[in-house]
Amino acid sequence: MRAFRHLLAHELSATWLAWSTWATWALFLGLLGTIHWYALLVCSQTPQPWTPIEAVFRWFPLPLLCILPLLTMRSFAEERRAGTLGALLTTQAGAGAVVAAKFLCLWLTWVIFWASFAALPHIAGAVLGGSADPRVADPLALGGGLVFVALSGLLHVAVGLLCSSCTRSPALAGLLAFFSLLALTAGGGLIDALPTDGWEWLGWLQGPADHLRSLAHLEDFAAGIVDSRPLALYATGSLLCLGLTTLAVEAAD
Amino acid sequence: MPEVAQQPVLALEAQGLTKRYGRLTAVEGVSFSVAPGEIVGFLGPNGAGKSTTMRILAGRLMANSGRASVCGESIALDPAGARRRLAYMPENNPLPDEVRVREYLELRARLKAVPEEDVGLRVDQVLHDCDLRERAGSLIGQLSKGFRQRVGIADALVGSPEVILLDEPTIGLDPHQILGIRELLRGLRGRMAVLVSSHILPEVEQVCDRVVIINRGRVVAQGRTEDLRRELLPAPALLLEADLGPEALLALARDLDPEAEVSRSADGRLRVALPRGSPARAGLLGALVRAGRSVRSLAEEPAGLEEIFLAATRRDATAREGRGS
Repeated sequence: MRAFRHLLAHELSATWLAWSTWATWALFLGLLGTIHWYALLVCSQTPQPWTPIEAVFRWFPLPLLCILPLLTMRSFAEERRAGTLGALLTTQAGAGAVVAAKFLCLWLTWVIFWASFAALPHIAGAVLGGSADPRVADPLALGGGLVFVALSGLLHVAVGLLCSSCTRSPALAGLLAFFSLLALTAGGGLIDALPTDGWEWLGWLQGPADHLRSLAHLEDFAAGIVDSRPLALYATGSLLCLGLTTLAVEAAD
Repeated sequence: MPEVAQQPVLALEAQGLTKRYGRLTAVEGVSFSVAPGEIVGFLGPNGAGKSTTMRILAGRLMANSGRASVCGESIALDPAGARRRLAYMPENNPLPDEVRVREYLELRARLKAVPEEDVGLRVDQVLHDCDLRERAGSLIGQLSKGFRQRVGIADALVGSPEVILLDEPTIGLDPHQILGIRELLRGLRGRMAVLVSSHILPEVEQVCDRVVIINRGRVVAQGRTEDLRRELLPAPALLLEADLGPEALLALARDLDPEAEVSRSADGRLRVALPRGSPARAGLLGALVRAGRSVRSLAEEPAGLEEIFLAATRRDATAREGRGS
């Protein structure tokens, strides 16, 4: 536990002292800001059944696929390339503590990124002044969306870490994370996209695929519905990925 | 009840370590030990199996067979316990570039379970021991190769381990830096057991109490340099500077021992080859003085670790050929 605490403090300082984190954060806010601004523009022209905040969260696969791999790709791949991971494991810190510290650091960073988005609707509300629709900064939609991102982030960050632990190349780790997250978020929709004729034998996949629909989970959370199934999916999925990452780290070097 | 003599616990012990990668045997039946406070050189050419053995001893690699222990604790059965007693500086000494020296050593001290109240003191001590005080605030990535090696050794020392494994600590250093590292290692004698691997023989000879020579994955010789010299090399020749020529010297030497041979050494001195235990070894100087010769110097020809290493590997090659045929 002591090693974990020190490793976490080290990871947090190393992450937040690196210019690349700030650049990634700027890119993230730029991306979300653009989506939010465009959604505001559309809503101001024609009444929409959704709010700008809901629009941003509906687009969450975009920052997930573009930004999260940038955050996670260096974590283990860079250390394996430099050989510092092997040196770290010669201390009393076990592979589990190393993985847990990196995971918690990156998950906190991901949550901070998303939490910082909360400023944008408030800024928009302040700029628009009294004429603003109260739904511009709807706290329920914002809170529900952030809770969803924090919960699903457990699995998404764990997948990114697992990809980073499998290679010495950060670029390859980023690509692996991109395609793994793409499969995870779009997997449910792909089953629906299959032609109905001749693919009936894949029908058994429909049930599991329904559970993978991230956007459905998001809508539930935003509507205040707490379904235990996605919670179990994200918790068990992240634990499985972290366990595999620990094995990969122990076998590395 | 009769008293049983207690065997002293060895700091480091390897017994029959074998590691295979598919059909390639990297190390085979490697056995040696290091006593507490002793500095042992682990010698061998590139690819001999030094780093593989070091990584097994550091608990970073599992051997296919054999036993390795640190202060009596099995590395395979209790890797965490072994890691508490042992520090390992891998080859090429990987360090994070973007961290400051002091910050890095403090983190490593904490990860090596140094009590929180002692961390500052321990880091100050190793910064002093490794002559790094003036670089404590520097980023590791901005240090020269020599200082990076010092940081690696400081890291190994900071947890006050009982055993230190240093894999090629002077590789890539200039002569001044090598001298510094050598002094640093000498300062560890008696304080902790050190196993230092190298393929640079003079460096090992000057620092280590004993050497273990490995070639093609097998230990081919081990012991004190003096003992290995006696075991593996012919008796050292005598080198003489005197006012006589080789023929006159040969006549004089053969009066004392008919097997004596005389030649010129590379530096122009007269070289007298005599069998081990020859009476001429003790009597040659007296005979020269009695013959009225003026002797400027008389010394045994030094045989370095290079000769010992070559003789040991030659003996191993001959033994392998013998087994093969």
